[in-house]
Amino acid sequence: MIRLLNVSMMPPGVGQPVLRNLTLTVPQGEFRWLLGPSGAGKSSLLRLLTLETRPSAGQMDLLGVSVSQATRSTLRNLRRRIGFVPQDYRLIGEWTVFDNVALPLRLRGASERDTRREAFAVLEWLDVAHLADKRPGTLSGGEQQRAAIARALIGRPELLLADEPTNALEDAQARRLLSTFQELVEMGTTVIVATHNEALVREAPAASITLQDGTLAGSDPQSGIAARRSDNL
Amino acid sequence: MSAPVSPGLRSGSLPLLVALMTLLAGLSLAGLTGVQTLANGWSGAARNATTIEIPSDTPQIQDRTSTLIQTLHKTPEVTAVQELSPQQVQTLLAPWLGEVSGNGHLPGLSLPVVLIVAHTGTPNLGSVVHEALPEAVVEEDRRWGERLNGLGSSLVACAWLAVSLIAAIAVLSVGMTVRRSVMAQRKAVEIVHFLGAADLTISSRIAGRAALLSLGGGLAGLLLLSPVITMLARKLAPFSHGTPTTISPEGTWGDMIVTWWNTLHVLPRMLLEELGALPLLAACLGWITAQTVVLVWLRRLP
Repeated sequence: MIRLLNVSMMPPGVGQPVLRNLTLTVPQGEFRWLLGPSGAGKSSLLRLLTLETRPSAGQMDLLGVSVSQATRSTLRNLRRRIGFVPQDYRLIGEWTVFDNVALPLRLRGASERDTRREAFAVLEWLDVAHLADKRPGTLSGGEQQRAAIARALIGRPELLLADEPTNALEDAQARRLLSTFQELVEMGTTVIVATHNEALVREAPAASITLQDGTLAGSDPQSGIAARRSDNL
Repeated sequence: MSAPVSPGLRSGSLPLLVALMTLLAGLSLAGLTGVQTLANGWSGAARNATTIEIPSDTPQIQDRTSTLIQTLHKTPEVTAVQELSPQQVQTLLAPWLGEVSGNGHLPGLSLPVVLIVAHTGTPNLGSVVHEALPEAVVEEDRRWGERLNGLGSSLVACAWLAVSLIAAIAVLSVGMTVRRSVMAQRKAVEIVHFLGAADLTISSRIAGRAALLSLGGGLAGLLLLSPVITMLARKLAPFSHGTPTTISPEGTWGDMIVTWWNTLHVLPRMLLEELGALPLLAACLGWITAQTVVLVWLRRLP
C-alpha cells in the first residue's frame, strides 16, 4: 500500500518544490497509470517511491513502512521489496546482462543455482536469454529495456514502478508486458506505470494518477487491469 | 570469481602509488635502523670509556703513571687500561696541531701521556686518579655519551617522523584514488545502492580490491627496495664481524639467491621483519582507507 499525505518535494538547489501537497492512496495489489505532461512531476514522484529521495514535507508510507521515520537499514530492506524500470534502464555497463538481472536476488542472498534459474526464466520470457552474456552497451534500446524489466521483475517485488517501460518495445512486446503487469497485480503486487502513450492507456484502461505542475490534477475511477483483478477475486 | 553484487575498484595508479610509498617507507625504516644502531654504538662506546691526560711537566711522570695504571687495574669495573704511544697521541692531536714532521716529534712541544680506560658501569675514576696523581686531567666521556645519545635520539625521532609522514601521505593518496574511482563509477554504485545493497556490501568489495592492489604494489615496492637493502647489508657486514659476500657471475640462480639471503642476514632481524610486513601493512592501510572513504561517501545517499 502506498499512502502520501501532503507530501512535498524540493530537490536541493531548486527554488520551488517539484511536488506540492500531494495526497493519495494506492491499496496493495492495485494498478495505476501515472499520467501528466512533461514536467508535471511524474519522474519526481517515482523518485520518491523508489526511495531515491525523501519528501521534504508530509508523510509517506510505503508497504507499511513510514519512510519519513525509517532508519537506513529499514530503507535498505524496503528497497529490496520494490522493483523499478527506469526510463534510462540504469544497467551497469561493465557487467553482463545476466549479472545485472541477477543482482536483486544476489543482494537478498539467494543461492547461485536459484538465481541462475530465476534469471534465465525471466530473460527467456522477455526473449533476451540469448543476450545473457552480452554487455548492455552492445544491445539495442529495446533489448536494454527488456533487461531492465527483467531486473525489476526477478525479485517478485511487492511494488513495481515503471517509467515509460514500453517506449522502446514493439507493440506485441508492450501488450505482453501489460499482461505481465496484470498477472503481478493478480498476485498482489502494486504496479504504477508512468507513460505518455495514450494508445496504451486506452488499450488497458485502469485507474490513474494524473499530475499537473507538481500537484494531483485528478484520478480516474478504477477500471481495466485493476477491475479484472476485482472480478477474479 | 565471485558473483558481482557491487562495482569494484578501478585504479591503475594505486599499485604504482603504493609501490613508491613502500619504497620510501622501506628506505626510511632502513635509515631509522642505521641511525638507531649508530646512536646505540656512539652512546655505548662513549659511556664505557674515560680518557686520562697526564701533563708532560709532571714530576717523575714515568713512575707515577705506572703506579696509576696499577691502581686502575685494581679498581672494580675497570676492564682495560691502555697507554697511548707518542705516535698515537700525535695522530690523535693531529687535527688540532697539524701534521707531524718526519722525525716523529712536534717541534717545541712535549706531548702528554694519554691513558684510555675501558670500564663497565660508572666507576668514580675521578677520585681514584686524583688521589694517585693530582696533576692528571680526567675526561669523563660520559658527558659526550649523553650528548651523542641526545643527538642519536633526535635523529631517530626525525626518522620516525619521516616514516609517519610517508604513512600519512599514503593514506591520503589511497583515499583520493579510491574517491576518484568511486566518483567515476558513481552511477553503478547508485544503482546498486538503490536496489537495496548494504553500505558494507558496496564498501567491502571496493576495499577488498583496494587491499589486493595495495598488496601487489607493496610487493613491487619491496622488489624495488631489495637492491638498496642488499647494498646496505654489504656495507654493514664489516661492522657485524662479517665479510661482504660476493656473487659469482658463474653461479646458478640458486647460489645467487642463497648468497643474497646470507647477505641480508647481516641486517637486524627487526628491520627484516618490518620490511617483510610492509606489503601487508600497505594492504591493511588500503583496505581501511577504502572502507572509510566509501562508507563516508555513501552516507550522502538517502
